[in-house]
Amino acid sequence: MSAFIRLLLATWFLALGASAHAQAPGRSVVTTEQVRAELLAHAPEGVAAGRPVWLGLQLTHKPEWHTYWKNSGDSGLPTQLEWTLPPGVLAGDIQWPVPVKIPIGSLANYGYEGTVLLPVPLEIAPDFKPSMLAQELDVRLKASWLVCRKECIPEEGEFAIKLPIRGSTGLNAQAFEAAFAAQPKPVLTTPGKLIPDSTAEIADGALNVRVQGLPASVRGRKLEFFPETPEVIQTAGAWTQDWNGAVWTAKVPLSPQRAASPAVMPVVVTDGKAGWRAELKVVGHWPKTAAPAAVSPALEEALRNNAAGKPAAPAGPGIGFFAALVGALVGGLVLNLMPCVFPVLAIKVVGFASHGGDTRARRLSGAAYTGGVVLSFVALGGLMLALRAAGEQLGWGFQLQSPLVVAALAALFTLIALNLAGVFEFGSLLPTAVASLEARHPVGNAFLSGVLAVAIASPCTAPFMGASLGLAVTLPPAQALAVFAVLGLGMALPYLAASLTPAAARWLPRPGAWMDVFRKLMAFPMFATVAWLVWVLGQQSGIDGAGALLALLVAMSLLVWTLTLRGRARMVLSGVAVLGLAALAWAALPQIAQPPAPAQQTAARAEGEWQPWSQSRVEELVAEGRPVFVDFTAAWCVTCQYNKKTTLANREVMAGLKQANVALLRADWTRRDPAITAALTALGRSGVPVYVFYKKGSAPVVLSEVLGVEEVLSVVSAP
Amino acid sequence: MLPRRPFIAACSIAALASFLPAAHAVPAVGQAAPDFTLSDANGKAVKLSDFRGKHVVLEWTNPGCPYVRKHYDSGNMPATQRDAVGKGVVWLSINSTEKGSYEYMEPAKLVAWQKERDSAPTHVLLDEEGTTGRAFGARTTPHMYIVDPQGRLVYAGGIDSIPSSNPADIQRATNYVKQGLSEALAGKQITAATTRPYGCSVKYKSGA
Repeated sequence: MSAFIRLLLATWFLALGASAHAQAPGRSVVTTEQVRAELLAHAPEGVAAGRPVWLGLQLTHKPEWHTYWKNSGDSGLPTQLEWTLPPGVLAGDIQWPVPVKIPIGSLANYGYEGTVLLPVPLEIAPDFKPSMLAQELDVRLKASWLVCRKECIPEEGEFAIKLPIRGSTGLNAQAFEAAFAAQPKPVLTTPGKLIPDSTAEIADGALNVRVQGLPASVRGRKLEFFPETPEVIQTAGAWTQDWNGAVWTAKVPLSPQRAASPAVMPVVVTDGKAGWRAELKVVGHWPKTAAPAAVSPALEEALRNNAAGKPAAPAGPGIGFFAALVGALVGGLVLNLMPCVFPVLAIKVVGFASHGGDTRARRLSGAAYTGGVVLSFVALGGLMLALRAAGEQLGWGFQLQSPLVVAALAALFTLIALNLAGVFEFGSLLPTAVASLEARHPVGNAFLSGVLAVAIASPCTAPFMGASLGLAVTLPPAQALAVFAVLGLGMALPYLAASLTPAAARWLPRPGAWMDVFRKLMAFPMFATVAWLVWVLGQQSGIDGAGALLALLVAMSLLVWTLTLRGRARMVLSGVAVLGLAALAWAALPQIAQPPAPAQQTAARAEGEWQPWSQSRVEELVAEGRPVFVDFTAAWCVTCQYNKKTTLANREVMAGLKQANVALLRADWTRRDPAITAALTALGRSGVPVYVFYKKGSAPVVLSEVLGVEEVLSVVSAP
Repeated sequence: MLPRRPFIAACSIAALASFLPAAHAVPAVGQAAPDFTLSDANGKAVKLSDFRGKHVVLEWTNPGCPYVRKHYDSGNMPATQRDAVGKGVVWLSINSTEKGSYEYMEPAKLVAWQKERDSAPTHVLLDEEGTTGRAFGARTTPHMYIVDPQGRLVYAGGIDSIPSSNPADIQRATNYVKQGLSEALAGKQITAATTRPYGCSVKYKSGA
């Protein structure tokens, strides 16, 4: 570039201060060296409620210069408008006309060249009553825009116009009509999914986009693609497109340094003139972007030694590890008191009572139960660690994030409940050989009840356990598994201790007729657990999924009952029941596994004063200076639900939070969500519930899992 | 004819590959940062991997950009640099503006420009060919990165949370580099590990 042009541009820069900022208020036009900006109005029927009233900023760019769309692409900033309007008059959002893609070397922007009008609708409240004397509506605008060629210049201007209230403003009708015509139109959608949803599927570092419902007139033509969400795709990356019948498809590369992971991606596609807007449902999981958690220097050293094949220095495990073990033991003990373990407790009580005075049987049963609990914890923990090592974003309780696992547990508990209620005996269903095996091996029975106890207890992270499990996932596998084993030991400890103590036998009542009554009574906590699991599934898969599960459970119960019959009735009825169950399962399983329709989805739903959580929302609020309380929860976590219905429903607590102007955010982990898993990891946790209080200028405070009224109030009111 | 096909295909792939070396190498957060050697204003060679064991901040800069001036003239960038360097962090200010751009500043002038604003980077590095900028996927000035002591990229994004040219917004914004460094130095995971960088485009040499 020649020195002359450089000089010329330098003068432009100098002129800028004078030109962009020296505009006196009261003007409708601001002119800079790069842009002529004019505030236009369009109110053909005057200014009144229900009438169309539009304002708009018209930007006329000098050749080669451009300003930006709502997503500016690799660099740049969208134009911003700040309105000052009389009470009763509200300005809406900018109705962005379709943009163009502006390549700059290896980068690209989305914006406007030539002349563009950014229209804004005004909403006139019904109670807007200007005095009889007032003839005009005062409109003031402070606009800021970034105008770029290769170089960029931020500019701003203040504008003012007066709109006749009773007369018609229609001089700029043509410009507004052109801006309305340049609006992207929504793609055709139909109720009942006649036209399927438009989707963006995440695969191999790219988005496979499918846009449905585009008009037949553009079919087969090359389209341009504009995501409204910034920081997701490589704006200037090479991409491909194709038509698959009526569906437009594209493969767009994801940015390796992606800063947003939306569930719905609104996009605009254009054929150069007209544009269409579709809300793409994101399918699949965003690749994780969070960096691995920092590793302590000591562990780093140990890993290096391992890699070099040298035995690690025989230094004992750190205090952190022992604290984790103690925490796990105490946590396991407390787990017995958690609401979700209660049905399992019932099974054990029946088991204990039936052994009566037989000391040896009791001891064996206690040991077998402990073995079942400990081994299950180790197996589950090992599975979780292996999946995490393979790059999956999941944490403790992950197994209940799968609707099929929830459905299977509901079926299992229905069977147990039917058995306890006396509908059937296992002996009458199973071949005699297996049944007698079962009877001869009460030890195996006790072992299995331990496995069951873990399966149902695992979603409840008890107090003291949270920190231990959070630490466990960062430890080397052997130590991590030790934490899980101790956790199991803690949970089994009360039974083990009772089975080993002769004194325990003395206060147990003698076996008798009461046992049958007790056993039948215990069927009801089991059914209650089924009711809870159906509700969890409803949260995960919607009302259709929950209904399908209930139908399956009924069919399964029918089958179980028919198997208790004898002779021909058994043959015929059980045959019918098997067919019915198979047909239902074939029809219902997809319903159960499917996520609910977006409208039913709980993850993004605001409930009362609670807003849906996102990390960026937390940061935004904290940056504004507002304290934030986050409830990390899941439908399958009973402790979470208990806290929600008690402490978090407490009038005093809610009033305290409101008084301190605390923003309430809820992160729902009922289904898998890598963003929530990452946030939990950052807090040093791997399961729910977690309650966190953020305040600008201080470290986040993690509250205890069984949330107390006093605790919340003291944290909130702390200076 | 047939045997020639693969040869032609190989040639075209090679040709394509030479156009797109950076596009494939851009690291995600959590991956190894690409190593580079660039000269500083005095012509001394500076190598990223020589700083293993320390946190390194990379700052893409260009005094011709109003957004860079927003953060230098307000004192925000120099203060962030001093804070970081005071905690043992290495700060590398990198200018990837091509020589042909009218915004290009001679190395000595760039150092003087920074000094006038009480700036304190460990090194000011020149990347006129744009190879290092493209390797990191730097798009804007400023565009900020943090590399951890193991040489992994742990932060990529903006200097702060409010994209605007108005210096008054700095007070209200979250300084992501300051926040990220304090988390990383405390051995914690960086909560906002990727954010939106905002500012002018990097004035890359075309076809580099």
